[in-house]
Order: sequence, then structure tokens, then C-alpha cells
Amino acid sequence: MSLDHAATPSHQSALSRYRLLWSQTPQSFRIGLVILLAHLIVAVTGPFWAPYGFSQMGTGIPLSGASWGHPFGVDQLGRDVFSRVVHGSHIVILLSLSGTALGLVVGAVLGLLSGYLGGWFDNLLQRFLEALISIPFLVLALIAIASAGPELSGNPILVVLVVALVYAPRIARMARAAAMDIATRDYVTVARLRGESAWSVMRRELLPNATGVLLVEFALRAGYAPVLVGSLGFLGFGLRPPTPEWGLMISENRALIIITPITVLGPGLALASLVVGLNLFTEGLARILGRTVRLGAQ
Amino acid sequence: MPILRLVAGRILLSIVTLLIVSLIIFGVLEVLPGDVASRILGRDATPEALGQLRDRLGLNDPAPVRYLHWLGGLLSGDFGQSLVSSRPVTEILAPRIYNTVLLSAYAFLLYLPLTILPALVQAIRRDRPVDHGLSIVTLVLLSMPDFLLATILLFTFVVLVPILPAISLVDHSSSAMDYLRAMTLPALTLAIVMAVYAVRMLRDNLIEVLDSDYVRMAELKGLSASRVLLRHALPNALVPTLNVTALNLAYLVGGVVVVEKVFSYPGFGSLLVDSLQLRDLPVIEATVMIAALVYVGANLIADIAAVLLNPRLRTA
Amino acid sequence: MTGATPLLEVRDLTVAYRQGGGWACAVDQVSFSVQAGEVFGLVGESGCGKSTVSLQLLGYRHPSTKVQQGDVIFKGRSLVGMSRPELDALRGDRIAFVPQNPTTALNPGIRIGDQLVETTAAHGRAERAQGAAVITEVLKLVGLPADPAFQRRYPHQLSGGQQQRVCIAMALACDPDLLVLDEPTTGLDVTTQEQIVGLLADLRRRIGVAMLYVTHDLALLSQIADCIGVMYAGRMVEIAPTHEIFQRPRHPYTQGLIASIPLIEEQSARKSRPLRGLLRRRDLPTGCPFTPRCDYAQARCAAERQELKAIDDSRAVACWRWREIAPIPAEPPAALAVTRPAVAVPALSVDRVDVLYGAKGRGFRAVNGVSFDIEEGEVFALVGESGSGKSTLARAISGLVAPDGGAIKLRGEALAPAVGDRSRDQRRLIQYIFQNPDASLNPRARIGETIARPLVHFFGMDGRRARTMVADALHDVRLDLSYQERYPDQLSGGERQRVAIARALVAKPALLLCDEILSALDVSVQASILALLQQLKSEHGIAMLFISHDLAVVRMLADRVCVLYGGEVMEIGPREAVFAPPYHPYTYSLLHAVPVPLRRPDKPIQSRGLAEPKRGGAGCVYAGRCPWQLGEICETERPPWREAHAGTRLRCHHTLEDLNARAVSPSARNKEIAV
Repeated sequence: MSLDHAATPSHQSALSRYRLLWSQTPQSFRIGLVILLAHLIVAVTGPFWAPYGFSQMGTGIPLSGASWGHPFGVDQLGRDVFSRVVHGSHIVILLSLSGTALGLVVGAVLGLLSGYLGGWFDNLLQRFLEALISIPFLVLALIAIASAGPELSGNPILVVLVVALVYAPRIARMARAAAMDIATRDYVTVARLRGESAWSVMRRELLPNATGVLLVEFALRAGYAPVLVGSLGFLGFGLRPPTPEWGLMISENRALIIITPITVLGPGLALASLVVGLNLFTEGLARILGRTVRLGAQ
Repeated sequence: MPILRLVAGRILLSIVTLLIVSLIIFGVLEVLPGDVASRILGRDATPEALGQLRDRLGLNDPAPVRYLHWLGGLLSGDFGQSLVSSRPVTEILAPRIYNTVLLSAYAFLLYLPLTILPALVQAIRRDRPVDHGLSIVTLVLLSMPDFLLATILLFTFVVLVPILPAISLVDHSSSAMDYLRAMTLPALTLAIVMAVYAVRMLRDNLIEVLDSDYVRMAELKGLSASRVLLRHALPNALVPTLNVTALNLAYLVGGVVVVEKVFSYPGFGSLLVDSLQLRDLPVIEATVMIAALVYVGANLIADIAAVLLNPRLRTA
Repeated sequence: MTGATPLLEVRDLTVAYRQGGGWACAVDQVSFSVQAGEVFGLVGESGCGKSTVSLQLLGYRHPSTKVQQGDVIFKGRSLVGMSRPELDALRGDRIAFVPQNPTTALNPGIRIGDQLVETTAAHGRAERAQGAAVITEVLKLVGLPADPAFQRRYPHQLSGGQQQRVCIAMALACDPDLLVLDEPTTGLDVTTQEQIVGLLADLRRRIGVAMLYVTHDLALLSQIADCIGVMYAGRMVEIAPTHEIFQRPRHPYTQGLIASIPLIEEQSARKSRPLRGLLRRRDLPTGCPFTPRCDYAQARCAAERQELKAIDDSRAVACWRWREIAPIPAEPPAALAVTRPAVAVPALSVDRVDVLYGAKGRGFRAVNGVSFDIEEGEVFALVGESGSGKSTLARAISGLVAPDGGAIKLRGEALAPAVGDRSRDQRRLIQYIFQNPDASLNPRARIGETIARPLVHFFGMDGRRARTMVADALHDVRLDLSYQERYPDQLSGGERQRVAIARALVAKPALLLCDEILSALDVSVQASILALLQQLKSEHGIAMLFISHDLAVVRMLADRVCVLYGGEVMEIGPREAVFAPPYHPYTYSLLHAVPVPLRRPDKPIQSRGLAEPKRGGAGCVYAGRCPWQLGEICETERPPWREAHAGTRLRCHHTLEDLNARAVSPSARNKEIAV
């Protein structure tokens, strides 16, 4: 028998437990999740119901502005901007998520190892990552694309690699700090006193306790990835026309902003709402996991 | 003096970081791509032209020799010659840097009130409608790519309320007023992008400090609300914001790339984009090195300032 | 209570704080009053709402708390309805606050002189010359140097005790009528605490200021308070004059609280049982909140709200059965003497161990030439204040820090300095239990996994065997089987500490290193873990190195005691011999500083301030702070070891006869309060 009286375990059905869990989530998390789901649904089903093809010309009078048939207007080449936004959705989301995921895997492995092992490996890696971080991320992305050469330019895989290259050092720095912090906790000391191997400590003590940090870090970076992809497209270093990538579309239609602002605001709204959704989701997730997060990817 | 040792250590680390940056830049731009000459001239260049270019760039030397040569040039202030215009890179860079420094200073002036005022309002009216409203505004602005924000500002102040020029072309003949008008929109864009990030941080710091024991103590001593806020809370909340401001300075270096492009402002950022398109290697290398230098320098200053502002470290 | 209008009156005060979407009640209809010049003590365990009450006495407002009902009336004026400028004029001036943690309560970026001036200036005592004079005066009043150089210091350049004196000086600067003290000595060493409490008692005598003293330490309160209010779960359960509370506690909670105080005096049979269980605010009954932990509870208790009712003209209690309940006598303490097998080799032997910290030039000796043996099955206590090197020594024994000199032997075998170089069996035989139970369990592992891990690691056990062993281990620490499936965040601090003990026990160690394992826990939880340790000691006969700053706890558990100061052994010997004259001067000042219920010190023993230990000097490390310092010899010459009775050894220039005389003759130090 315990002297300290324990709370009796709750006997609830799984459904009502989930409902209770949902009601306890922060509002930002819920709103963010709804926005994200809407974007995901459009990304997956969009190509099947979009009114026009993404490169289909002559869908309406060029530069005719917003109407029921063309909610985001018609561009210079007579393409329906709304259909292009819908078709572009899965491209933006796919590129962002895969780039961030790649950066997370590389960054987390490097960071956790470096943080727990310490020593010369840590020192060397830190200097290298620090150098990568001190090149502004957009500049780093641009010179990486420039060095890849003209054969690869416009290739989606290059964009994914560049996103990962920009994020991996920043994620590694975060993971390293987390590993170093966790390594000072008494339960890790207990494991060390027991004589557990570095690998076992990493798997049993560090990784389970770093998942929260890494999850939030992933969401945070994923939230900025669409902006990065869009910036590359906007500057003409990302995907090639006629790909309906949103940043590229904003760049293409920018000259027309005086005549039909909606052709710029439409893709802009799509991009901004996706990022708002991701940011709200991140903030809520961080709060659920009991962490603080600084939104913005600088 | 432990403080001098600390500062010297940080400066040394910064130099090491910059050396590694130079290695990375050189490696990425001149070693990784293979034959630089054919990359610059394209696939259908004649062998003679390629040979000429290789000679001019010294490409026949092994990579380490070329790196040391380049690094030596950097250290003595010689960034080489532009491949496109054959002018010295320093001559091309100088006016662009001047323009960007002006723009950044203007942006920074706008940034300070845009950061401190909303954060103060939010912290004082915490959990009230004003706080929530401003939180939403900053979140939306935070989520808006800078090129989109720039485009919307452009649309607003050029089309809807036509008070500012759409294109911010300036040169040495422009008057001060021309400069000011030309710079307002790009500076405002940069300031907003920097501020939204800092506002959120400063608000959280302020609230943390307002909940601290010493602010409560100050209040319980009978100090007025304004004195508690301005004397006890704000100075301590600003110290961590220094770091963000350093990061923001670093952001400026990258941010100008997009924003200058949008407004066709002839600064350092648009130079980078242009030279990337022209594959003008010496110019690219020089701009990237300068960008890294600014970042490292800003962080160094923030670190040292944090030490100086913290009596615990200062008097150690 | 006298008929005069009280200085301060709290009426039906109900305070709630924001929790999730709603408001949770922290203080529930609390009423009491403080007379001018009176010291009122407010006592209770963590989370009982006592600090919330203290802040309301200054009208403190915060976005996440609100006063739902009731009022605080100071000199006839209501604080609850007051505007901010009115409050500003009052607090700091008429009512002053002394915070719990002076380190965080002083602004780190402002010089202490400026922080003091600011206070007087805010209350219109700013005239330059006069203001400076006031500050010099209050600094002297609290026993601090008042010179300008001192006033130009930043808070971090002061010791914890000095910081608290600065806070008290700040509170006294405007000559207030009421001082509100919120756990003012909790973070301080016991000798510093003694000085602060002595200072407060002295101030009260001299300037007659009324105080509201909030603390969890009932014994401490008995030294200074006239009247004590006991709070439980946001309610006031009993108010009575101090000696009445101790002589005839009426409420079952008060009785349990008194019985939970570890006593440094003779372990005579207690009048009542220590508290059991712990406060769980989530499932409190609608009636008396103490019902789940009460030994006298009846059905009616849980249903019917208990109001605080006066039972005579000086006391009130919130229990309808107060007349009927008689204290249940405690079980006699378990026989501590364990017959140990006579083994020639000690479990652990520490021989002239040194540990150095820091870089070469500026480093210092955290541990300097410490030697002792711990026999099999013996509880060996290391006592000393923070910085005495006791934890460092434990870390050296465990192999976390490599000693810079000396040898450590486990059962006669020399141990490698670093844990990585020790054999698996050596690592198994020494188990470390940490101070903070929140940090010592992996939050992502179930309790079952945590306890099973050493079994798998050291004995290569498979899952099923491990599970039965885990069940045994949980039984050993009095937790039931359902705990296997839980995560640490579902456990209370005391339960987590039990799990940490179980994890150490399953490795079948020869030596447990217990590093301040009780100090993060509430009094009642402390008492139950202490009882557990006593049981384990007699059941398992494991040797323990028990590190503590709490002499009362040490006295209840230890077989032998070693007193450390500045990294050196001051006195070592069997418990009863160390706790009896002749004392080493440092042992004496430690013992003297421990608050004992209903014993008021005449005044703190003459201390020579709070000098740092003189490490690595030619003389005694304690020189400079020693109350009985002989003279120059203490500064220039190492003191000799002296053998006292029962194998006690102490290190002092005084002869044993001299020490004996000093410990006994001025024993007017304590006198019983006439009851």
C-alpha cells in the first residue's frame, strides 16, 4: 500500500478521452490544424477538380480581374490564376515538407551526436555549422543553386536539397543544445553511473526526451519553407515557368498589379494562409509539449 | 581581466568562422562545379575562349593555390576584377554598399519604435483584446513572405494612395529628398519584417520580467506603475532582445536581396542577384563574404554588449 | 484577542488564480487579524495559499489572480478597493514586504544603494541629505556596512544572507507599521537563518513593528511569533497563541504537522502521529479539505463545511469534533540499533581525498584531505552548509568527478577515479540517489522500465524475472503495483523519490549515496520518506552515506556523523557523541542555529560575520568565522586532532576541557518559554 494516496485511474472510453484531449488543446493549435487540413485537401484533390489546367491558355479575357468564373482573375497569357494556385498547392507543400524533413534528419543526427559526444568532433562540426549559419540563408540558397549549374536549375530535387542545406545547420544547433541540456539531467547521470554505452544513453534517454524539441523545430522550419521556396521562385532561381509555384506566379504577375491586383493577391493569400496555418499549428504544438517557440525562421 | 579574455576569445572564434566561410564559398563556387570556365561561358564556348578565360582566372593553378591567392587578395582589400565589366570589384561594390547602408539605417530607425511600442502595449494589456489583436497582426505579418509584403505595400502606396514612387532608382546625382522618397517603401518593408519578429520576443520577455520577483518587489515597495515598467522591467527585457536585433541585422543582409529587387533599389542585394544571373564570380564571392562578415560582426557586437550590460559579467 | 482595533484585519478573503480556461480557488474565506506590534505567523505546506494571502496584505494585483470575495482592512481602510496610486502611497511606506528569495527579488541591474534610495524617494523622503542619512541608518540597523562602497555594489556581489538583510533594510526604510515576510529564510543556510531570525526578533524589540511571518517551518515560527494561523488547502484551520498551538493543538492537521517536525532533541515518544498522505487539490471533498488525510474523519466531515469557530477568547479552530479528538500516540520509533555482522573490512573507506575545482591559478580545494570509513550496514551522515564540499565528496565516491589525491576503497578494493574505469560490479555496488526527484527519473520512461533497467543492465535479466523483482522493489518502497505503468509526471515528489530509492535498491548495492534526498520535499512527505529509510535500514542493512544540512534528520537516522566545513572534516564520531559536548565550535553553531519548538534563543551566538572559509591557508579553515576563536594561533597554525569520548575526533586549538566548559556554561542560550 502506498502512503501517498494515488489518484484512481480514469475509466473512460477511448472516444471520450480523445474528445477531452481535443478540448484541452490550445485554440491556436485547433485553428492551425483546420487551416492545414484545408490546404492538404486542396493539395491532394485539387488537380481533379480545378476548373482549368495549370498551363491552359485562353480560359478568359487576359487581365480581366476577379469574377465568378475566375476568382483570382486571368493572367497575361489568358491562364486562370485560381486553377494555377490549386494546381500549385501540392508542389509547394511537397517541396517544403520533404526539404524540411531531409534537413531534420541530417540536422538531428549531427546535432544530437555532437551534443552528447562533445570533444573535437563537436568542436569541428560546430565551427563548420556556425560558418554555414553566418551566410544569410537566402544568400546560401542562391549560391548553392548557382554552383549546381544550369543543367540542374529549375529541378525540384535541387530545391529540396537547398531547403535541407539551409535548415540542417540550424536544426543541428537546436538538437545539440537539447542534447547537452538533457545530458546534464540526473537520470542521464544515473545511466552514466550504471556504465551504459553512449548508444544506449542516446536511444533510451536523449532521443525520447528530445522528440518534443525536434517536433517543434520541424513544424517551425516547415512553416517557413514555403516562403523560402517562394522567394527562390520569385527571384527566378527556383522552379521554372510554367510551373504554378506560388512565388513564381507572384513574380510573373507583379507587373500587372496596377491592372489586376487579384492575380498577385490570390497566390499571395494562398501562400500566407498556409504559413499562418503552419505557424499557429507550431505555436499550439509547442504549448502542448510544454515548450516555448520563437516563430520566424531567422 | 576575465572580461578582456572573454572578448578576445569571441573575436578569435569569429575570425575562425569567417575563414571557414571563405573556404565554403570558394569551395562551392570554384571547386565543386568542376570546370568554372565552361560553366561561365556556357556549353558552346570555343576552346580558345575557354583557354583565355582560364588564364585570366588563373584556373590552371591547383585549387589550394588559387584559394590562398584569393584569400590574400581579400585580406589586402583586393577583391579582383568583375568578369563582366572588367572593373575592379571594389569600385562596383562601393556605391552599392553605400546605398544599402543608408537603407538599412533608415529601416533600423523605423524598426525601433515599431518594436518597442506594440510590445509595451501588449505586455501592459496582457490577455486583453488589444494583446490578442496585436498577436494576430504580428502572426499574419510574420507569415507573409517579404516579397509579398513589399508588393502589397507597393500596391497600397503607389496605386491606391499614390504618394511614393514605384521604382526606387537613385544614383549619386539624386537629392536627399529623392533618396528619402525612394527608400521609404523598401525601408518600411524591412522594418516591418524585422519588427514583427522582435515584437513577439520582446512581449514575451517583458511579461516574463513583469512576473519576476524583482518587479513584484519594486511594485510592493510602492513605486508607480510607470517607474516599475520603465526602470525595472524594460531594461532587463531589452537585453535578450539584443540578440534578436543582431539576428535582425543579419536578416537585413539577406532581406535586402529580395526587397531591393522588388523596388529596383540599386543596393548590395540587387547586385548579388544580378551578378548571380551573370555568373560574375568575383563579385558574388565578395558580396557573400561581406554578408557573412556583417552577420558575424553583428553577433559579436551583441555578445559583447550583453556582457557589458550584465553587471554580473561586467564586474566578475 | 484584545478588544482594541486591530492594525490589520483580513475578512473572508477568497482569492482565485487563472487555471486553463477558468479560475481555481487558492484562498478560501480566510479571516484573521494582526494587532499593532504583534508577530502573526502563517504556516502550512506548499500550495496551501499562505503566500497568496501575504501578497494580498499589500494589495498585490496580477492579471492571473483575483480577489473574489472578502476584504483586507489596514488601519480602517480597505486595500481591495484601493486605486493604484493610493496603494503605491501605502505599500513600502506603511506596509513593507520581505520576499522569499532575495537573489531574484533584487533587480540584478541596479546598485543596491540606488534600490534603497528609490524606495525612500517614492515615499517623499527624497531630500538628498536626509534620504542618505536614513539609508545609512537602516543599513546599520540590519547589521550591514553603510559605506558608499558597499552601496555601490550590485546584488550578485553580496551573499544570500546580506541580500536578505538589504531587503529587510529596504522594508524598514520608511519605518512601516507592518512587515510582511514571505518565507524570508527558506533559501538560506541554517546559521544564516538563525542570524536573520535573531535580527527580526531584535528589530521587533527595538522598533515594535508588527509582522506577518509566512513559513512552512513551524519550529522556526515558535521562536518569533506571538500567534499562529495554520492553513490547509486554502483554508484557515486553526488560530491560536504560539505556546497553545504547541501544547494543545486542536485541529488534527496541526497535530500532524507538529508531529512531523524532525526533532533534534531526544527522540522521546511523540504526542501524536506524523501526517500521512499528501494534499491533492483536484479531489478535495466539499466539506473539510483535510478529510482524506484525517485519522478522525467521519462521513459528516467530507460533506459539511467546517467554519473557523472561536473556542475561547484567544483561539479558533475549524473542526466540529475538536472536543472529542485526543492525539493518537505515535508508534515508538523503530529500534535503530541493528546488529551488524562484525566484518573487518569497511564497506567504504575514504583516505585523504582531495578534490580541486576550477582552473589552476584561481581554483580552490572543494575537498581537502578528508578521511573516514563506513562500516557495512552503517548510516554515515555528512553535514555542513552549502559549499562545505559534501556533495563533491559524494560525486568523487561515485566516480563522477575524479579526486585529485587520496584513495577510495570499496570493500577493501581500490576504486578507479573515473566511473568509466570501474568494473560493472563496482558500479553496481555504489548507487546514487539525487536531491531533486523531478530530474532523476526519465520523464519518457514508465516507472516499471526505470526500475527494471538496472536489473537488465547488471544482471542480464529477462523481462519476466525483472517484472517480479520490480514488484518486490515497489513493495519495498511502499508503492503499489499500479505504479509500474505510470510516468513520472503522474507522481508526486515523494513518490518519485520512492521510485528513485527502488531503482537504487534493485541493484543490490553495498552503499547508497543519499545526496540531500529529503530537502526538496514538504515536511509531511519528508517524515514518511524518513520512516521508509529507517525501515530499509533495519530490513536491508545497506550502508548509506547520508548527506544533509538538516541536523534533526541526521539525528533521527545516522549511526555516525561527520561535520564538514570548507572541504575539511571538523568533527567525526558516533551520533550521540557528536550531538553532545564537547562540541567543535562549528558543530556548536550549527546545532545552536536549528530552531527547536518553543525554545527561544536569547540571542544568536556571537558570530564573526559570514566570512568565506579560509581554504588552503596556514591556519584553521573556520578561523575568521569561529565564535570561540582563540587568537592568532587559529589563523597561523593548523589545529590538532583531539580524541574525545566514544571515538569522536575533532580538530580545534581549544582543549577538550575548554570546549566542554564553553558548551555548558553559557547554556542560558536557550530557555524554556514559561507555559
